[in-house]
Amino acid sequence: MKRKGLTGLLFMVVFALLVLSGCSSRPTLNIYSWADNFDEQVLKDFENKYNVKINYDVYANNEDLLAKIKAGGSGYDLIQPSDYMVETMIKQNLLEPLDKNNIPNFANIADTFKNPSYDPGNKFSIAYTSGVTGIAYNKKYVKDKIDSWDDLWNPSYKGKVLLLDDNREVIGMALKKLGYSNSSTDEGQINQAVGELKKLLPSVLAFDTDNIKQKMIQEEGWIGTVWSGDAAYIAAENPDIEYVVPKEGATIFSDNYAIPKGAANKELAEKFINYMLDPKVSAKNYESIGYSDPNTKAMEFHSEKYRNNHMINLTQDELSRTEWLSDVGNTLQLYDRLWTELKSGRE
Amino acid sequence: MKKLRLIHLPVMIWLILFLIIPILIVIGISFLQRDELGNLVYSFSLESYATFFDPLYLGIYMDTIWLSVVTTIICLLLSYPLAYYIANASPKIQTWGIILVTVPFWINFLIRTYAWVLLLRTQGTVNNLLIALGWIHEPIQMLYTKGAVLLGMVYTFVPFMVLPIYVAIEQMDRRLLDAASDLGATKWRAFLHITLPQTKSGIMTGCVLVYVSTTGMFVVTDILGGAKSAMLSNIIQSQFLGSRNWPFGAALSIIFVVTSLVLIFLFNRAMQSRYLAAREGK
Repeated sequence: MKRKGLTGLLFMVVFALLVLSGCSSRPTLNIYSWADNFDEQVLKDFENKYNVKINYDVYANNEDLLAKIKAGGSGYDLIQPSDYMVETMIKQNLLEPLDKNNIPNFANIADTFKNPSYDPGNKFSIAYTSGVTGIAYNKKYVKDKIDSWDDLWNPSYKGKVLLLDDNREVIGMALKKLGYSNSSTDEGQINQAVGELKKLLPSVLAFDTDNIKQKMIQEEGWIGTVWSGDAAYIAAENPDIEYVVPKEGATIFSDNYAIPKGAANKELAEKFINYMLDPKVSAKNYESIGYSDPNTKAMEFHSEKYRNNHMINLTQDELSRTEWLSDVGNTLQLYDRLWTELKSGRE
Repeated sequence: MKKLRLIHLPVMIWLILFLIIPILIVIGISFLQRDELGNLVYSFSLESYATFFDPLYLGIYMDTIWLSVVTTIICLLLSYPLAYYIANASPKIQTWGIILVTVPFWINFLIRTYAWVLLLRTQGTVNNLLIALGWIHEPIQMLYTKGAVLLGMVYTFVPFMVLPIYVAIEQMDRRLLDAASDLGATKWRAFLHITLPQTKSGIMTGCVLVYVSTTGMFVVTDILGGAKSAMLSNIIQSQFLGSRNWPFGAALSIIFVVTSLVLIFLFNRAMQSRYLAAREGK
């Protein structure tokens, strides 16, 4: 009796799953990406052009993405990991090699984003958008010339400094300020960098990644470490905001297209990547989402306003001062520990 | 012990699948090791537990307990009079009182917390009001302070304290109060010797609910505290995500659950024994 009930229940669950998952006969491209990462019309155009359906799920950080893909059976065909996560996923054998024959528009990508250190030869990934963690500041309150990370330590901004809530970004920034690599694995250098950050702590208003934009727009913070794309967004809302890539150099990051191992619709995903790299589609998409466009052929289709925005289109000179974060292996535990020390104000 | 019946089966399956097995998995992971990429390595190790006794993490745990205890005490001091008032008011006021206490639950917790940001920030409602009144000239930095965290915690968890105490006061035997007053006890004395002991269960439930919820909270410290002070739950979260150190995160979770249970047990014992002593003494 008992067993019968249970079997019945299981049967119903399986039946419901089958019914719910088999709704559409059109092929479905399952995308797993950041929220609001595409222009909706561009996605709809793709659906109509190829008679397919796009299913778009979102994650909030790379670690959620990793956990889901690692668990297997996620059913996603296209994901958008950041640079260091591409490296981690390659090491863990979680990505499919891309077939470039299906992506001829790869040629449109700017040279800066070809052959990146985290994926030599673009075997597994293609850049979708990128930016640099620089300094954003509010000209109303910050009157000095800002061109160095040292400026964050200026006592006039005490209590008004914002930092990203991310140990690699912030410790990497302090390492850069001292002239080291942002991905140092040298214990002495890392300790020295965190020592500098401990001196900065009394000036820090808050650590924040997701809502740092609001804090700058509302003028709660006057100066802080901000991603260039976010800076462009903030400046559009509050014209007093300026942004610089400090002279000591800074961290560059990217979000990428990649295909998880065993994806059911690999070819469709490649078709999608190629479509997105079409110059006109590309212009339409990035114009709408406001991030920087790595597509060189798309520039002529972009509006003047977009092309003249120096926070979206960083100069070669600025880009030449940047460095990718790379996987630091077991040293990550040291970063984590020192970060905890820093934030809890303990030794 | 009652015999298990068929009707208990779904609950048992539910508990085993979604409580017992996950806890066993967490316990299991806490004794494992990790490799360079954060993958679990299946060899037995006590390293994660040893790491906890680092003064850094012990100190953070003490801070977490301290904040939770302070939050619980403030919630109790605010909630008891309120619950007492509601429970002794006319039926109409009782209904409205309880509705008003529970109304915040209808709105998403994150939205309510962000509402505090709008109120407290330098260009927020409170600062603007104070400046308009001429009481201050420069905005006060209220947000991203320890005070803001405490305020957010107390605000969030007051209903958890009010409701059980209200129920306890509502259900107590009021004839005892009449008897006390007939025998010449002052109102205050009657409260101390009758109302308070009889509503102890409500106080206990409320305290445990608030304490446990506060220790597990990390959103308030992030949003209202500017992520400047690390709570144990923030550390646990980062071990499972950014730092990819699941064994340490699992060990912290287990230590957290065990110490919370011990503290709650001791608290209950203390309350019970005082209650018994009071009964036997009088």
